[in-house]
Amino acid sequence: MLSFVLRRLLLVIPTVVLISGLTFVLSNLTPGDPAFAVASRMAGRPASRAEVVATRHQLGLDQAPLSRYLHWAARAARGDLGRSYSTQAPVRQELFRRIPLTLELALPAMLLAMLIAIPAGVLASMRRNRPSDQLMRMLSMAGACMPSFWLALLLIILFSVRLHVLPVAGRGGYLHLVLPVVTLALAPAAVLSRFTRSSMLEALGSGYVTTARAKGVKESSVVAKHALRNAVVPVVTAVGVNFGFLLAGATVIETIFVWPGVGSLLVGAIQQRDYPTIEGFVLYAGVSFALLNLVVDVSYAFFDPRIATGSSV
Amino acid sequence: MKTAAILRRVRTTNLALVLAVAMLAVACSRASTTAAKTASSNPNVALTVGFTEDQYVLSGAQASLGEYPLNANIVETLATITPDYKVVPALAESWTLIAPNTWRFKIRQGVKFHDGQALNAMAVKVGLFDRLAAMKGGSSLKAGPNSVSVVDESTLDFTPTVTNLRVPEQMVHPEYGVAAPGSDLGKKPVGTGPFRFVEYVPKERIVVERNPDYWGAKAKVAKITFRFYPDASTRRLALQSGEIDAAFEVPRDDVAGLKSNGFQILTSGVGAYDALLLNQHGKPGFDILTDVAVRQAVAMGIDRAKLVSGVLDGLATTDQTMVAPASLAPYTSTITGVTHDPVKAKSMLDAAGWVPGSDGVRVKNGKKLHLVLVSGFPAAEILRPIPTFVQSQLKDIGIDVAITERPDSDSYSAVMDAGEGDMFLEQGNQNDANPGFLPILLYYTGPGSGTPFSYQKLFGPGGKFDQLLAPALSEPDPVRVRQIVANSMNEFIDVDASAVVLAGVYRIYGLRKGIQGFVPHPAFLHVRWDTVSVSG
Repeated sequence: MLSFVLRRLLLVIPTVVLISGLTFVLSNLTPGDPAFAVASRMAGRPASRAEVVATRHQLGLDQAPLSRYLHWAARAARGDLGRSYSTQAPVRQELFRRIPLTLELALPAMLLAMLIAIPAGVLASMRRNRPSDQLMRMLSMAGACMPSFWLALLLIILFSVRLHVLPVAGRGGYLHLVLPVVTLALAPAAVLSRFTRSSMLEALGSGYVTTARAKGVKESSVVAKHALRNAVVPVVTAVGVNFGFLLAGATVIETIFVWPGVGSLLVGAIQQRDYPTIEGFVLYAGVSFALLNLVVDVSYAFFDPRIATGSSV
Repeated sequence: MKTAAILRRVRTTNLALVLAVAMLAVACSRASTTAAKTASSNPNVALTVGFTEDQYVLSGAQASLGEYPLNANIVETLATITPDYKVVPALAESWTLIAPNTWRFKIRQGVKFHDGQALNAMAVKVGLFDRLAAMKGGSSLKAGPNSVSVVDESTLDFTPTVTNLRVPEQMVHPEYGVAAPGSDLGKKPVGTGPFRFVEYVPKERIVVERNPDYWGAKAKVAKITFRFYPDASTRRLALQSGEIDAAFEVPRDDVAGLKSNGFQILTSGVGAYDALLLNQHGKPGFDILTDVAVRQAVAMGIDRAKLVSGVLDGLATTDQTMVAPASLAPYTSTITGVTHDPVKAKSMLDAAGWVPGSDGVRVKNGKKLHLVLVSGFPAAEILRPIPTFVQSQLKDIGIDVAITERPDSDSYSAVMDAGEGDMFLEQGNQNDANPGFLPILLYYTGPGSGTPFSYQKLFGPGGKFDQLLAPALSEPDPVRVRQIVANSMNEFIDVDASAVVLAGVYRIYGLRKGIQGFVPHPAFLHVRWDTVSVSG
């Protein structure tokens, strides 16, 4: 297991190099000149040619793209992600300041999504094609299709403007978490409930469940101990992927709820053509996804010992 | 026995009634006391204000925390600008030009920074001009390391590195605030303003409190929390929910709803404009507007009154000066603007050889009268639905318009740099009191204009416009400069049709009931909060 983990960790390095290189190329192909953006923002008006040239030199943008990338990569390897074009603050410092804020939303949102989705999925699978199953499928479809920004605004209008029970936006006490967490949880809950349902249906139709039922095992035990235990592996994969997206920051939700996490950092960086921040974000997102996938892979062994031992049914 | 029970019940009921009436009376008396209190402002009240995006620079010579773009009234400038673009003294009591290029400032006496240091000529040198000299090019003021000499305790001379006769008009900009010597404008700004810095949480809020030792009239609220809401819908909902007391930049679409819910909507004078800049030096494929007759026809083909009343909900004006009208007074009327006259526009196009084709689009030598409209400064979203309105109006005179929207100013600028458009729609804003600043920077190509950039290359008419504007570079009298700029913009807009000005735009502020004394400024970075009070 240890060698497996080490191998996977080493794989993170080429993955991140590839992603960061690709991001660098795409950023440089995007129309627009970061020097113009920075100089114009500083001036509060369209910047003059002289101001743009001076800013380009100041930001090192007058160097060849390959040289800039290698320079960035060499510094990144030492943990220095450079300085933001727009705020002049170190990117690493800004990322480290914002990651915990994103986690403040991502963790409870994921937890809420699982608390809703797994019981709902199990229940739907046990009542296949009955009204409760149809209702769950309809709700999960609606949840997956509903644009998050729209839901966010509806929730704000209802709970903040009409009922005055929850704050509109910003960080503060626990109440500030409610609306963004609920909004964020909806889409993963919808996806996970469908995953759980289909995975459970497959497990409930398998031979070992039939055997258990034939042996007179109680239905609740059949579901909880036999079917669910086996159905959980694909669900864990889906949890990992969805949690990865949440960790990478919910850009729209963070913008609407003025939540200063990594998602809103990325939005601002793209608008400002702030390449160092975009690169820093990509590095963070790449590493997060890679580590999360590793955790998911390792967790398979916990849920299904056959995977750890390499045995088959 | 039964009778006694009934009597007891009646007594109990009466007692309950008396208690209820008493409680109601107390409640009413409390309510009336509160009402009496709301009639006057409360000096201990705190205010929460919703701003747009947090764009402070936090390190380096250009650090601007609390200064710019959101001016939290912590740091003050030597001169300031009124909502009608008049330059008035602030930390400098007066200034004079000592020919040829030195400005002598008399610094206000008896002023202290928030940390107790006294404001004097040396403090202004260190806290302003040395900071500017450390910036690339010495900022727009052109400050150099040897630009300042301290004459005495209250007098300093400033000599820009290149001739700059517009220093007082430029230095009203908040980025030229005087910070206390030794203070860090990226972490904890210390100034002389009516409010002192309390706290800053990036992307969330900046908090200030009343400066009890302020040299002018003391602020009327004890504390202000400025919260950042990049999303306009969230900002509006925060105002509606009572989370904030006032909001900057209320979107036009939200004005009616807020008004009907009892909110105050205040609009400033015109400080910004929506305009189509016409590419008069276009490369092949974008060269139709090199013909002045076609440019003039475009200008005449658009009904500005309809745009303002129908599309912009009456929340703009038909001003066509581009430069803020108040900053050109008393010469504003020199720029007459273009009157909507589709019949004349059609006959001008006919005369220019563009005849109606079978599909209604005009044709000349087999080429269609097809123009590309690029929209995107500061962002396409802000300018909607003006492009579709223009498209529809120009279709009526036989011009086919294709719309290209760019999400932000950066990608808009990239299209402009490539010269791939005929008309460029943008919203500009004037932030200082120098009326010649933008015309000279963007369109002037005469002597002293430096290496031309895309604005000058595409839209600079040269010739008479440059001749008219050139004296502004060496004219010391600000009133004469207004006249020069008005004459040159008359040439630019009315004669050359280098730009089609669509509307004068003002800033829209939303406030809850009970906010008093707020003065809307056409440039939001000059809003003063020390005059604002709250009742209720």
